[in-house]
Amino acid sequence: MGGNSTEKMSLKLKVWRQKNNKDKGAMVDYTVDNISPDMSFLEMMDTLNSKLVKEKGDSIAFDHDCREGICGMCSMMINGQAHGPEAETTTCQLHMRKFKDGDTIVVEPWRAKAFPVLKDLMVDRGAFDQIMAAGGFVNINTGNPQDANAILIGQENAELAMDAAACIGCGACVASCKNASAMLFVSAKISQLALLPQGAIESEARTQAMVEKMDELGFGNCTNEAECEAQCPKGIKIENIARMNREWFKGAIGSRK
Amino acid sequence: MTSKKCSTSTSIGKKQIMGVTGLLLCGFVLTHLLGNLTLFIGSDAFNKYSHALTSNPLIYLAEVGLVILFFSHIVMAIKLTRENKAARPTDYYMRTKSGRGSTFASSTMIYSGVITLIFLIIHINGLKFGTHYDTNIAGVEMRDIYRTTIEYFQAPLHLAIYLIAVITLGIHVSHGFWSAFQSLGLNHPKYMPKLRCASVLFGLLIAIGFSTLAIYCYLQGGH
Amino acid sequence: MTQENTQNTKSKKLDGKVPTGPVQERWKTHKFNMKIVNAANKRKYSVIVVGTGLAGASAAASMAELGYNVTTFCIQDSPRRAHSIAAQGGINAAKNYTNDGDSVYRLFYDTVKGGDYRARESNVYRLAEVSNSIIDQCVGQGVPFAREYGGTLSNRSFGGAQVSRTFYARGQTGQQLLLGAYSAMMKEVHNGKIKSFTRREMVELVTIDGKARGIIVRNIVTGEFERYVADAVVLATGGYGNVYFLSTNAKASNASAAFRAYKKGAYFANPCFTQIHPTCIPVSGDHQSKLTLMSESLRNDGRVWVPKIKGDKRKAIDIPEEERDYFLERIYPSFGNLVPRDVASRNAKNMSDSGFGVSATGKAVYLDFAAAIKRDGVEKIKAKYGNLFDMYQRITDDNPYETPMMIYPAIHYTMGGLWVDYNLMSNIPGLFVLGEANFSDHGANRLGASALMQGLADGYFVIPYTIGNYFATEKFSKVETTHNEFDKAHTESKAKYDKLLAINGTKTVDEYHRELGHVMWDNVGMARNETGLIDAIAKIQAIRADFWKNVKVTGSNVDVNTELEKAGRVADFLELGELMALDALERKESCGGHFREESQTEEGEAKRDDENFCHVAAWEFQGDSKPLRHIEELSFENVKLTQRSYK
Repeated sequence: MGGNSTEKMSLKLKVWRQKNNKDKGAMVDYTVDNISPDMSFLEMMDTLNSKLVKEKGDSIAFDHDCREGICGMCSMMINGQAHGPEAETTTCQLHMRKFKDGDTIVVEPWRAKAFPVLKDLMVDRGAFDQIMAAGGFVNINTGNPQDANAILIGQENAELAMDAAACIGCGACVASCKNASAMLFVSAKISQLALLPQGAIESEARTQAMVEKMDELGFGNCTNEAECEAQCPKGIKIENIARMNREWFKGAIGSRK
Repeated sequence: MTSKKCSTSTSIGKKQIMGVTGLLLCGFVLTHLLGNLTLFIGSDAFNKYSHALTSNPLIYLAEVGLVILFFSHIVMAIKLTRENKAARPTDYYMRTKSGRGSTFASSTMIYSGVITLIFLIIHINGLKFGTHYDTNIAGVEMRDIYRTTIEYFQAPLHLAIYLIAVITLGIHVSHGFWSAFQSLGLNHPKYMPKLRCASVLFGLLIAIGFSTLAIYCYLQGGH
Repeated sequence: MTQENTQNTKSKKLDGKVPTGPVQERWKTHKFNMKIVNAANKRKYSVIVVGTGLAGASAAASMAELGYNVTTFCIQDSPRRAHSIAAQGGINAAKNYTNDGDSVYRLFYDTVKGGDYRARESNVYRLAEVSNSIIDQCVGQGVPFAREYGGTLSNRSFGGAQVSRTFYARGQTGQQLLLGAYSAMMKEVHNGKIKSFTRREMVELVTIDGKARGIIVRNIVTGEFERYVADAVVLATGGYGNVYFLSTNAKASNASAAFRAYKKGAYFANPCFTQIHPTCIPVSGDHQSKLTLMSESLRNDGRVWVPKIKGDKRKAIDIPEEERDYFLERIYPSFGNLVPRDVASRNAKNMSDSGFGVSATGKAVYLDFAAAIKRDGVEKIKAKYGNLFDMYQRITDDNPYETPMMIYPAIHYTMGGLWVDYNLMSNIPGLFVLGEANFSDHGANRLGASALMQGLADGYFVIPYTIGNYFATEKFSKVETTHNEFDKAHTESKAKYDKLLAINGTKTVDEYHRELGHVMWDNVGMARNETGLIDAIAKIQAIRADFWKNVKVTGSNVDVNTELEKAGRVADFLELGELMALDALERKESCGGHFREESQTEEGEAKRDDENFCHVAAWEFQGDSKPLRHIEELSFENVKLTQRSYK
């Protein structure tokens, strides 16, 4: 497939290796040959790993799962950019035809205090779950809510909510932000729920709670650079951060507490 | 989902303080620029404008206000920067900008801020607390700040520092201006592109406006 | 069921504990008859939920809301990443918002018929009945379903259904529903009723006094084996499509939890019922690690063809019209390109196998939009399929607006799974199985947009009731993780991993997995026959024997070791693959996704044998001996047994 891209490539890789959380870690050089341009970046990493295993080396640990760009598990800083150079593309959907024979590729884990490295390219993003548990939900229990069509939602708001809800929670926003800020991730959920009547009721309290948790976990602040938006594989907009700021302000001014 | 913290200690609270103080400081810079335009009219106009400002007892209140604005802006900037550094203890081996997000201005805010602060001290020291001359315009004794200014800018070093500083300030506000709106939550898909454009224009205005003034002063010295 | 050896004489008739009475009343009556745990007593019971996809997350949240103490486990770094997230199309419900004649009964009818009469009528009716509540619940949670301008919910028709009953959130319905269930789960984490453990893999089920009372998990980060005890264990661990190595499943999707339960005595039902999806992006080479599915809706406008000349190497656009074979239109003039999934898949494979396949590997057929673009214009096609075309281009670097797409079938869902009764409890008391991991609702073939419905039905609206009945009717002794059953399970599972590390052979885990995949795909794939299945069993046994002698697993068992994780899973796949082949061999009929070449009509269509096989086959593990095949008879009182035809 891919028409004329059949010739195999040889690449030099500089990969971050770190045995575990306590290890210091270092960049290690590797070469891989016979890389087909039709391979995904992760398949190239698979190829390297199988070579390492054959040579009795320890394979490089990296997170991945669905390999179709939706689970948000894959997370690599490729040549200094979250998920690599392609816009709106996760690492698993980045293909080797975007590189040239003989290229040197630098591969690093997400780096943030709140995302400690577990091994090699694998980091702990549990902080995101903690932020979600602080308020990223609508407080309703399973049961018999009203009929779905009893809540009318204008198409524009439904679409905007969906735009925000498309976040896959991969952490590229944190990784690409020079301040390791999680604002884009947090605002995407706050925005989605603030735009819908079901979620709007608790919006201010939710915003306070999630922002406080985010701060507590050691993420940085927002400098409105929009690098998160630029490197987000799902194109989540910083407009959501503004909406979060607005919700936060309303809560801070208007709250009785 | 209940709030436990003081609003101004959260990341957004701090950013909003940065935004509000920044916007007010933008207002100050703009007024300062507009006032200084009297320089082009001539020495008397400039001196009278300056006298009117300094002789008004409210000036102390305004100065205290300005100090508070600067102080909060700076303290918040230091706090935020320290937190931001702490948020990524180990830096990347390689970092590339996507070219679709950050700009030169946005990625150098703390540096342009520091340069502006240093300049501010030099500026106040060289002009406000510079050589004192007196003059009498229509029977009113007042400071001849015009002469001080013209003399000050005769030194090429002073001129050079000034030019660098106001260009830096222009760059600073070209990101800071729209950024304040974003931090305050005033982002709207329809107006934001215009606001970002206005922000760059504002930066240009500050840089060009003050530069022209300085060069004008330099040229007044008979060069 | 008498033709086999003596073992079959021990085979039991299983009781699905299905309530009696009119099908419409069964669930209502059953809900009333079930015992309830007093509200204040619920906090005394604890439940383990393994897997946090649609079924697991919704079950965990709903049970926690009731007051039970829930502990959840997932293999990924967050519960939100379960593979339910990848479902694109939508979720069915019998709301009849579109006024096109849908009803609970019609959804029930379509599902039983679509499943080729190999599912329990009662379960399917319940599924259709609660489908509407699912939509209400999800909307309440803030799931951003597509809306009309007036603010009401949008519907579309899906997978050849005659009515528009599918609710959707762009092409990311699975993601949005999962995030809804995940947020409900996070709400209960917030409330302290759920403890969520991530990066844990269940490696053993612990049964005490015949009841499921706990699990052993392997902590993927530290390599440690951890023990968890509870009053009931809920498995919601998904399907086993990854037995085939290449499938549309996520890389971490595995069968180990379900298979461990099977080895502890839970019956595995209908393992041979697997579903193939016809419109996947073809394999590009040996490096391929997984397959990507594209929505079936593509076949609404695309025409499937291959060159008439074998091995034609010309570019698609250089092949003139008269030298193209639009084989689906040729063989099935009335349904053409819209024949059901299995028919489309089988024909594509036949074409490729007989040398007409396209692409570098010869394993693909064209799906051509030229006619549709000519008819409707590029803009209209872009509006309908733009995102799919983009995805295709990203992966293949081909532009489907200019040159035909290439497609090939791939495994993407498994209807079989652990056997459960009407209460979703397996034959091991206290072991409940939900979602794709059980066998219950889809029979031999699952309809489009029904997987999401089943996962959420089980989790939100079935298990909260049935688990209460179990607690209220059983007595529980106090059990600690120091119990010797825990010791035993712990030692056994640790031994397995130590052994894998000690072999230090020459072949990588992936090599074995690929080898197994090839055998499964060729012999236990879309079309099966006796010789091929017997051959498959022998081959799988040989691969398995070699695996345990010659596999190479590097690294240690104290840090993250992805090779070791994979090895543990592949070891189970190597046994499950054989069970699938065995089940396929014994089911000497064609039905749904199971096509036995010996059982087809004169036109080459699947032919059921209702006389001998109108039942569920549930396999009981027998150590080194052949597993026992139990059966549960199926009766169809409401939907009449008929043979389908698409000619």
